[in-house]
Amino acid sequence: MSNELPHTRHPSQPLTSFASPNPSGSAAHAMGTPPSLTRRNLVKASGIAGLGLGLGTGLGACGRGFGGGGDDDGDGVELNMVWWGDAARAEVTQAALDIFTEETGIAVKTEYQDSGPYADKLATRFAAGDEPDLMAMRMDSLREYADRGALLDLNTSGDAVDLSGLSESAATLAEVGDAVYGVPAGLNAIGFIVNQDVTDQYSIEIPDGDTWSWDDLAAFAKAITDASGGEVYGTGFEAATLANLVVWTRQQGEDFFTEEGTLGITAGTVEAWFDMIAAMRAEGGFPPAGFFEQVGGGPEQSYIATGDLASQIIPTNNFLGYNQAAGGNLALLRMPGETTSTRRGQSVDCPHLWSIASGSENQAEALQLLDFLTNDLRASEATGTTRGVPANTQVAEDLAPSLEPDDQTATEYLAGLQAEDLPRSYTYPPGGSAIADSLAAIAVEVEFERQSSADGAAAFIAEAEGALGQ
Amino acid sequence: MTISTEAAAVSAEAVPTAAAPQRRRRRRDRAGYLFLLPWFIGMLFTIVPFFASLYLAFTDYNLLNPPEWIGLANFRDMFSDPKLLQSIRVTFTYTFVSVPLSLVAALLVAMVLNRGIKALPVYRAVFYLPSLLGASVAVVLLWRYIFGFDGIVNAFLGWFGIAGPAWTSDPDYALTTLIILHIWTFGAPMVIFLAGLRQIPVQYYEAAAVDGASKWRRFVSITLPLLSPIIFFNLIQSLIASFQTFTQGFVMNNGGGGPANSTLFYNLYLYQQGFNQFNMGYASAMAWTLLVIIACFTAVTFFTAKYWVYYEN
Repeated sequence: MSNELPHTRHPSQPLTSFASPNPSGSAAHAMGTPPSLTRRNLVKASGIAGLGLGLGTGLGACGRGFGGGGDDDGDGVELNMVWWGDAARAEVTQAALDIFTEETGIAVKTEYQDSGPYADKLATRFAAGDEPDLMAMRMDSLREYADRGALLDLNTSGDAVDLSGLSESAATLAEVGDAVYGVPAGLNAIGFIVNQDVTDQYSIEIPDGDTWSWDDLAAFAKAITDASGGEVYGTGFEAATLANLVVWTRQQGEDFFTEEGTLGITAGTVEAWFDMIAAMRAEGGFPPAGFFEQVGGGPEQSYIATGDLASQIIPTNNFLGYNQAAGGNLALLRMPGETTSTRRGQSVDCPHLWSIASGSENQAEALQLLDFLTNDLRASEATGTTRGVPANTQVAEDLAPSLEPDDQTATEYLAGLQAEDLPRSYTYPPGGSAIADSLAAIAVEVEFERQSSADGAAAFIAEAEGALGQ
Repeated sequence: MTISTEAAAVSAEAVPTAAAPQRRRRRRDRAGYLFLLPWFIGMLFTIVPFFASLYLAFTDYNLLNPPEWIGLANFRDMFSDPKLLQSIRVTFTYTFVSVPLSLVAALLVAMVLNRGIKALPVYRAVFYLPSLLGASVAVVLLWRYIFGFDGIVNAFLGWFGIAGPAWTSDPDYALTTLIILHIWTFGAPMVIFLAGLRQIPVQYYEAAAVDGASKWRRFVSITLPLLSPIIFFNLIQSLIASFQTFTQGFVMNNGGGGPANSTLFYNLYLYQQGFNQFNMGYASAMAWTLLVIIACFTAVTFFTAKYWVYYEN
């Protein structure tokens, strides 16, 4: 799906730039045609090659390089800052950093890549003792690093970074106990987008996005599939995307992860989630099993852009991209069930945090940069809402008028949520990525009816508790 | 092949006058080591991580904190890890189905190409190409489109009224799709087969034809035995490569080994353990276990060689 659902299953990001660490034998084969092969030699060669390739196993994966290593000789400090994203984001980020460098004389060397490889690279850099000064940190990786003492507790650094401008929900996102290990680089939520070109074409009314229920969604989706003769499915989203399930869970009055870092979701809730989707699938409003292949990454490859789906769930900071890709006539709705369930399910999240390495040699400068990115309007004016709405509410407000209309829509959507009384969401405990993997596998078993929803739910709870060491 | 060209070059320049087969040999050795030098240099970069991983296999190491010695615990855990067993099942199925099939395909095409086709180099290159690309990300992505839900394959089946399955997202079919991809990349063994076929003296076939041997008979009694060392070489190569499959599983389902772990190759799970879950100690233990598994299969293959591999001399 997209680049940065805050809680998507861990490895599901696009991997276009991934280079295989596996030699897989083709190198050894690529000799071409030798003019004379003596068979004895071949056999010897195969033994040697066998040994070499065998030894290469797994080690190749460890050997992938990572640049970095600031040259901090000389007078000027050079910060190393790493994040994930694409070239467009790189451009606007650089624009913000240029302002910072000009003002402070602190040079910033950035590196970025897709989120999948980024996670590997960050881990290996820490392992090598070559950690960056300032880094993008996934919410679900935060505690994997923080619990191991790898990140700077911002509460110990005085008021170098002013967090007073952040809303309560934004300020507590990266809180672990009394410590704060990061600042949201932006805020977002998930939202439901509906292609109004499709609903207009078939004259189907879109339910009120603030008050609709999951039943309303099912009826709406079925109406579209029926009206289009199966050309367009009414809605579709992945059962295994944690962000979606988290909202559902909270609506049922449970927390996916509790404040203590244990698993709060019960088997009944997981089962109901699977059943709800299966019912929509049976009615035709939801695409058949096997439909979601996660082909491609960004909005351009999304099913709403290709015209296969009339509605889907997205992270709101990508609304602009989706609207451009899908023809410019998307409506942004809240998640279904917000007013018809036990309690509110949506929460304000962040695509990523900015964190500082506890081992950074340039902490003072890194804090200065973090403060600039968080609280300086010019930084946000340069970057726009590529990482979500600025966490500083004043900055977000001042920024709004200069944004593109689509970004304004997403900003207003988020501001609306922020102003409301939403139950607090808790940070991912370590082991979160294993939980995402396990949900991904089980959701497919249920999708293809190889496992009943009840069995799948029970298996998921067992695996998730195992992953959290409960 | 570097060695043979090298030998030719050296013998051409070394004039066998007055002295010294010894000096000649020394020069040749020196040249040989020179050619090996890049490998030695590369080895330096591998040798440290190599032994580091051996040590890490006996530790609990999360990349951020120093490794902690835990003896054989990692290896013990492997026996009770259902995902590991699943990854072994996937890898073995993949290997034992795709390796024989791709070798048969390679041999068949090599024999066709060996019948004196015009523009042989062109055909050879065309058939070889997929094996250069097969493990690449781009081709796996392309493959994903071809076998996609609305892809070319299903469109083709649709003409015959067959509703094709979800080739890449149905757990019953995903591995099959990857096996087909593997078979398609038969080019590397094919090129080697072709070279081997061209070395079989034509007289044997002529003599057999004179004696009235059928085509099949000639294949079984001449081609197969004389080609057996090449088959052996290709078999070992393919086995080893196949056990280490990673990219196909990684790219096909965005690194997850899905759907439902049906393409969770051993190396992919190893990678997940090491880099997603930060269990680098466990991942190292897995790497060494795979080394042992591969070594066993290679050894068994070598052991059986004396029963079916025929050397002329």
